[in-house]
Amino acid sequence: MSDIAIGLLSFPALLALIFIRVPIGLAMFLVGLFGLYFVTGSFDVPLGRLKSETYSTFSSYSLSIVPIFLLMGHFATLGGMSTALFRAAEGFVGHKRGGVAVAAVGACAGFGAICGSSLATAATMGRVALPELRKYGYSGGFSTATLAAGGTLGILIPPSVVLVIYAILTEQNIAKLFLAAVVPGLLAALGYVLAIALYVRFYPGSAGTRPPIPMAQRLRQLFEVWPVLIVFGLVVGGIYLGWFTPTEGAAVGAASTGLIAWLNGGLTFATLKTSFEVTAKSTAMIFFIILGAAFYNGFLALTNVPQAFSGFVVENELSPWTVLIIILIFYLILGCVMDSLSMILLTIPIFFPVVSVLDFGLVDLVSMQHEAARAALAQTSDLVPEVRSQIEMLIASGSEISRELQREIGIRVTQGMADRIALEQTAIWFGILVLIVVEVGLITPPVGMNLFVINAMDRRTRLQDTYKAVLFFVGSDLIRVTILFLFPAISLFLIY
Amino acid sequence: MKSISPEFANWALALGVGPINGDFELVEAGVAFAVFAFLPLCQLTSGHAVVDIFTAALPQKGKQFLAMIIDSVFAAVLILITVQLFGGTLSKYRFGETTFLLQFPVWWSYAASFAAALVASLVGVYVATMRLSQFVTGKTGLVGAEETEH
Repeated sequence: MSDIAIGLLSFPALLALIFIRVPIGLAMFLVGLFGLYFVTGSFDVPLGRLKSETYSTFSSYSLSIVPIFLLMGHFATLGGMSTALFRAAEGFVGHKRGGVAVAAVGACAGFGAICGSSLATAATMGRVALPELRKYGYSGGFSTATLAAGGTLGILIPPSVVLVIYAILTEQNIAKLFLAAVVPGLLAALGYVLAIALYVRFYPGSAGTRPPIPMAQRLRQLFEVWPVLIVFGLVVGGIYLGWFTPTEGAAVGAASTGLIAWLNGGLTFATLKTSFEVTAKSTAMIFFIILGAAFYNGFLALTNVPQAFSGFVVENELSPWTVLIIILIFYLILGCVMDSLSMILLTIPIFFPVVSVLDFGLVDLVSMQHEAARAALAQTSDLVPEVRSQIEMLIASGSEISRELQREIGIRVTQGMADRIALEQTAIWFGILVLIVVEVGLITPPVGMNLFVINAMDRRTRLQDTYKAVLFFVGSDLIRVTILFLFPAISLFLIY
Repeated sequence: MKSISPEFANWALALGVGPINGDFELVEAGVAFAVFAFLPLCQLTSGHAVVDIFTAALPQKGKQFLAMIIDSVFAAVLILITVQLFGGTLSKYRFGETTFLLQFPVWWSYAASFAAALVASLVGVYVATMRLSQFVTGKTGLVGAEETEH
């Protein structure tokens, strides 16, 4: 059997193991172990790797950000910030039909700005907003679906644990990825608001109303959210401006969120202990998946399957857009049964090499040259008039500027530079798209984790009702993916 | 920081605040040990991520059988990891490799991780034994499958 065949056969083997309830990390580890045996003909290679690979996978400075962000999320939950956010949003829109649901989504978006996990966001906001929604006569399925969808804003709006993992896997800049996720995250919140508006139009009986509250009280409630703004600004701003590394930024965030939680009386010795315990458990789970994925992908690289995939795409001159659509649909389907982090860890090492050879025309060499040339022309006045007019003519006609002419005005824009920037932009844009499609998986029936978490909080609501109502939000998600897919600039314009 | 508020930066530096030498190395050694030390907890509380939609319809006995097999394999894998990590520790010890900045021997951090991995193996074996006895006796409820966040 050829190496490629072994590599390809490993996919169904892996899925079969995962589907009979083998822990995902363990399944990847086992397939990697036996795969290496089949490829190399003995257990020497996998066993030799194991001597240092477990340690070297775990002892990663950049991955140490994961437990810190998890801890920060727990502190944020304890700090009463979820209540403050909900009150602030509810004061302004709560009296409109569907307004309490809109407020819940708004609060989820705010909470997502200090919490990098979707389940934590859904669970926290669920505890705060679910009783309120029911109090104002919102139907069960509508309430639970709103919160399950709102929870996905936790990983969409930075900081985001999944995005951090993506950044590490693809060797991209975490700060740039965070920044790229801001606008799509806000679009997501907006899309959910529209979904709510549509839902209450279709089912007017599913939401009650209440009288408006005075403006002074609204402003007072709005003022209560200042800690969220400070923590978000400090962490995301600080990382972006280079005050500290992402890991340090996460530590600053966790410490300040913990301090706020302590000041608000939410952080006691008992809750601190629970926070550490849950963080430790989740950390072990995530790192074991990372280990399994590293082992599995090490095996896969040896079989040349990722190279074969990208080679296939290049040779057959497949349209980049078609390839991307297939990958995204694959994520949507897999997302129905698998959690987001495992999917990213399993698939990015296979898909990213494919995507990185695709040319989406994000960067254009000629327009990069023109931009640089225009800036240079504006700065220099003592230029030979002939050169100036020649360059201006080239810009006007939209043609390439030769290397000699570029040297005349002191610029140098080469194909290699354009390619590098194009690769980075593709990586960031692809990351945002993947982040969104895996996040859709959290709310797609039958196995949307968020749906389960929220539904378990409201025993009176049947799971079927949640399934039905959440389709409005899934629809909103799909429209947003399409928009972001068609207009990469929405994700990229803040960075470039 | 210096560009934003030079006074604050100088004041803080005068107090002795500054980059810790070799902070990367310390974090890297620490996080490896921490993850190995967290593994037993995750093992004991069935905290690993699984896909259970396809096995949900199985009868109780079938689920217990799967759990027994899977946790036995898991225990075996943890033992394998621990044994190989011991081998790794020995070879680091023999070569006397040290870290770049702090110059502390790399085998120290390996040994710490090995100790934690050893505990994880023992817990793995314990969980597997419990699953076996559950399958044989048909009793349930040693450790509940709790929801974990990710």
